[in-house]
Amino acid sequence: MAFEEFNNGDQIALENGNVATIIEKLGEGGQGIVYRVSLDGKEYALKWYFPQKISKSDGFYKNLKNNIEKGAPNDAFLWPKYLTAIENGSFGYIMDLRPQNYHDFSDILLNKVCFSSPSATVQAGLNIVNGFRDLHRKGYSYQDLNDGNFFIDPMTGSVLICDNDNVAPYGTNLGIKGKARYMAPEVVRGLTRPNNATDRFSLAVVLFFLFFRNHPLEGERLVRIPCLTEELELKYFGLEPLFIYDSALQANRPMRGIHDNVIRLWPLFPKFIQELFQKVFSKDCLSGKNRPTDNEWQIALTNLKSCIVTCPNCNDETFIDESLGKCINCGCPIPKQRILECKDGKYKVVLFPGNKLYRCHTDSTSDDYQEVTGQVIANPQNPKLWGLKNLSDECWNTEGKESKMIPPGGVLLITRTSRIVFSASCSAEIIY
Amino acid sequence: MGIYDQTIMQSVARRSMTVFFLVDTSGSMDGAKIGTLNQAVEDTLPELKNISSSNADAQIKVAVLKFDTNAEWITPVPAEIESFQWTPLNAGGLTAFGEACFKLEQKLHKEAFMNDAAGCFAPVFILLSDGAPTDSYQTQLDKLKNNPWFKKGVRVAIAIGDDTICDTLEDFTGNRETVLTVYSPEMLRKIIRFVSVTASQVASKSSNVGQQSAPDQTTTKQQDFIDALQQSTIMEPADDDSELGDIEW
Repeated sequence: MAFEEFNNGDQIALENGNVATIIEKLGEGGQGIVYRVSLDGKEYALKWYFPQKISKSDGFYKNLKNNIEKGAPNDAFLWPKYLTAIENGSFGYIMDLRPQNYHDFSDILLNKVCFSSPSATVQAGLNIVNGFRDLHRKGYSYQDLNDGNFFIDPMTGSVLICDNDNVAPYGTNLGIKGKARYMAPEVVRGLTRPNNATDRFSLAVVLFFLFFRNHPLEGERLVRIPCLTEELELKYFGLEPLFIYDSALQANRPMRGIHDNVIRLWPLFPKFIQELFQKVFSKDCLSGKNRPTDNEWQIALTNLKSCIVTCPNCNDETFIDESLGKCINCGCPIPKQRILECKDGKYKVVLFPGNKLYRCHTDSTSDDYQEVTGQVIANPQNPKLWGLKNLSDECWNTEGKESKMIPPGGVLLITRTSRIVFSASCSAEIIY
Repeated sequence: MGIYDQTIMQSVARRSMTVFFLVDTSGSMDGAKIGTLNQAVEDTLPELKNISSSNADAQIKVAVLKFDTNAEWITPVPAEIESFQWTPLNAGGLTAFGEACFKLEQKLHKEAFMNDAAGCFAPVFILLSDGAPTDSYQTQLDKLKNNPWFKKGVRVAIAIGDDTICDTLEDFTGNRETVLTVYSPEMLRKIIRFVSVTASQVASKSSNVGQQSAPDQTTTKQQDFIDALQQSTIMEPADDDSELGDIEW
């Protein structure tokens, strides 16, 4: 029978016996329709599949059920909450509604909305990486990672990962088609089905789009072809992919007038970030080998966050790094700053007023980049004197000419102190 | 805002994807047929706008060629869907399908319509006709069929009513599956919407390479469109078709 959309007020039976009521249609995608529904006095979203769109639908239904039982990897996921009963050969699931301050990632790519600051951009990257790291750690792979999978709050960088219905345990593939420009070359070539390693490629593409607003493989070579045919997609995204900033080959550099965003933004980023992208899109990694892990990205982006400071001249945020000697906005020179190297150099924090330490810096077992444990402050009486305020609930100790204890709330004057001991197994060096 | 300030940033570079509407405006289309067609295309435009405005891969453009005694471009160049407005077409005269093929082929070159700096995706061609060509069209159609842009595009024909010579339309699309015959205004309205939206979705994104059983193989967008058509129930009679009664074209 022909597919009929639900009308406002229609009652939808859930698998658990409860009933949701359709309030209105919110939108339509390739797989189905999303409605606003009410359930137990609260409003949710209902995604209802087109009957023919779901291949292996019995497995799909079971997989969704399994995912609901296991729960979301972390709070960044708009995870399925309840399944509906099967009706007229199809079904749907209930999830939370997207809050209004979250926008489609494509709105950011199309410059309809913009991030409030570079910090918010980096924070969004960290949240995306952290979400997928937790997903992979739970034994899932996402399989269809692309620009349509995120909602982002551009003021804060908070992220909601949506379309989690294709998420499946490692090794399971639900037959969902990916998007060619986001699929790893080995998937484009049909050599493998999507898995965790191919998710890592897609994640790197998303991050490159987030920071540089360009596809990492789309430079001069693709501009020279008038029509992107299937054969050429296979060639340029599968058989012979080439990064636009490949460290050795220059044949696919971005072109002025078309790829202006990336031409402007690429040189503004610290070298360690450029090198990580050059690695993930190197010939070796493009062939599927040795791709940086989610954890490597999380550490790199935590370090990127730690080298953002507010320029004293123009008051806009800039990156400070050994590779960058001036403000990326106004160009005023910024002298080399002291760096706090934590955990044997794994994490680095520029010691500049306003910069924060997070639990990952001061706790040996933590990689939390959100909970603040310390902050660099300028002395109110003499702003030339900078200190590191202990905002944790542990006592810190210094090692140097004279050792000192900095209790919670106390401030360590940043002078010639060379070593801070946060705990028995976690310390940091101040590098001049 | 700094480096991501909206006034300095630009939208990501998008390829364009043009939807060509090739509309038979000969005398037999006069009345309900052309009226329904005008209304249906106009009603579909907001959906195409939505597909384009939320699509970071492609910008949708529209080009309209009408043909009766002569063929004539309604859009001098492909128009961005966001600013495009449908001009209601009137019907009258003969069916110069050969001239339409000629004029279309002329524009399917990098020096003509397919000249976007950021490149293009292969276009969508939607042919709407209710009759048979009155000119000798075969040479021009054959030339069109050899045009690379035409060959790579998604081609679909909507045959309006029983009198249509479907063989010509099949020759145009290259497949019997992509010639859709409609018998009622309601069906025409539905099919125009479905075809425009689905073909635009298929054509305005990267292909589904990597979905083949053998490595390093590709599928055509025409095939992707046929798959979408076959998965849908659009050609099945709707429950409410009976309510249309004995509407005559």
